[in-house]
Amino acid sequence: MIRIKNENLRKTIRVAVPFLLFPLAVAAGVFVFPDNSYAWITVVCLIFAMLLFYASFDKKVVGTRRMVIIAVMTALSVIGRAVFSMIPAFKPITSIVIITAIWIGPESGFLVGSLTAVISNFQFGQGPWTPFQMFAWGMIGLVAGYLGKPLRKSRVALAVYGALAGVAYSMIMDIWTVLWYGEGFSWQLYAAALGTAIPYTIGYAVSNVVFLLVLGRPFGEKLQRVKLKYGV
Amino acid sequence: MKSFKDHNPIAVFIYYLFVIVPVMFCTNPVLVCISLFFGIAFRMAKDGAGALKKLLPFAVFPVISMIVNPLFVHKGVTVLFILNDNPVTLEALRYGLTIGLIICSTVVWFSSFNSIMTTDKLLYVFGSVSPKIALILSMALRYIPLYGQQIKKIRQAQQVTGLYKEDNAIDKIRGGMRIMSVMVSWALENGIITADSMTARGYGVGRRSRFSIFGWQKSDKALMAATAVLGLAAVLAIGLGKLAYVWYPQIVTPGASPAAVVCYAAYALLGAIPVYLQLKEEARWRSLQSEI
Repeated sequence: MIRIKNENLRKTIRVAVPFLLFPLAVAAGVFVFPDNSYAWITVVCLIFAMLLFYASFDKKVVGTRRMVIIAVMTALSVIGRAVFSMIPAFKPITSIVIITAIWIGPESGFLVGSLTAVISNFQFGQGPWTPFQMFAWGMIGLVAGYLGKPLRKSRVALAVYGALAGVAYSMIMDIWTVLWYGEGFSWQLYAAALGTAIPYTIGYAVSNVVFLLVLGRPFGEKLQRVKLKYGV
Repeated sequence: MKSFKDHNPIAVFIYYLFVIVPVMFCTNPVLVCISLFFGIAFRMAKDGAGALKKLLPFAVFPVISMIVNPLFVHKGVTVLFILNDNPVTLEALRYGLTIGLIICSTVVWFSSFNSIMTTDKLLYVFGSVSPKIALILSMALRYIPLYGQQIKKIRQAQQVTGLYKEDNAIDKIRGGMRIMSVMVSWALENGIITADSMTARGYGVGRRSRFSIFGWQKSDKALMAATAVLGLAAVLAIGLGKLAYVWYPQIVTPGASPAAVVCYAAYALLGAIPVYLQLKEEARWRSLQSEI
């Protein structure tokens, strides 16, 4: 395997993969390829980009402690999804991902989000939607990590971000719904899918806000305490 | 020879990729029917005829799609009847049916994927990309039952100290929150201790390797090679547009051109591999049993 030595280059790749490569790949899938192949081109792009992210993470020097914390938070959010599985759209995953991201860092947020999707789908069923869930939760975590400072300071900002994340999650998953239908991407279909998903979108947003307000402070305190005590 | 599920997970994973993806790349009813046939055949070979009952609910997809598509899409020249001033066309009906069958066949293949690719096997596949991610995944998987046990312990400890009233809902909720709080603190501290223990034993000193019980035998390589040759042939034919259907306004089929026939044959052979391996393994099992 090639190891990238230049720190700046590595940093650029880490930012470029999720933010640049994704849209480019998806755009290529939509505009260049004919036929009804969008769905699979998108899935392949998603897997490809996430593999790149994982590969770049593998090359990075990460403290063992931080790695274990990521595993702990992933396990907690998987349990959270299982505990609330009876109530549709009311899940603490997104909020746990956001909390991890703002206290531990953007990449940890991405990992907790995407790995939670993989693991909990062992229980809820793997399918072509798994990469989309991985991407949606991963990106919510990544962005939350970059916005860490304001989100740590203000509970209002945290709640607003949680609500937006719920909407974003719904919008990303509806791209999948539209592509799945096989007609290719059309804005009308997308709007229709978003329309039918409104109850779910509201459910995601509300549950994120509720869980962030309830869990945000105690979780944050605990993570901060561990950080202080052990210097993660 | 071994049965399909005992092959190296990477080979099996790539097999599934090649058998599911081509169907999605083109809305070709012949290809979809081949895929669906072998998907169901494999489930039946693996789990007996009872599997058919479990797969029956998936028949909903083609039915719904066949009804819904003509209601929204009014393209096509063969008008069946007029509904609310909108023509319902045969083309839209057939397109809807094909899309439904695609969804159905994907779900059927994923149903066997889910039972074959168990957690340890997916971990192995993940580990080939990044050992670190695989380690995080397997740690998280181990923590899930551990935390369940820990919650039980905390609850018992708290009950023994008399922290709960039985008939008070608010007290129950507050107690639940307290248990969660204790659990999370414990989980984080326990994680740190695990990490320190790993460091003390030299984790991260050398190059990271991984243990796996899956080897690469001749049959794994054979499966990989067969998948690659047959799958790539199918993908190539699809990529060159040899199997493309024109649906609207009038259905134009690619017919039985040589390229199309080769592609169908290659894909059918690809789909038959797991059925063949499964039946062969079972036949051998039976013959060995009767000799004893």
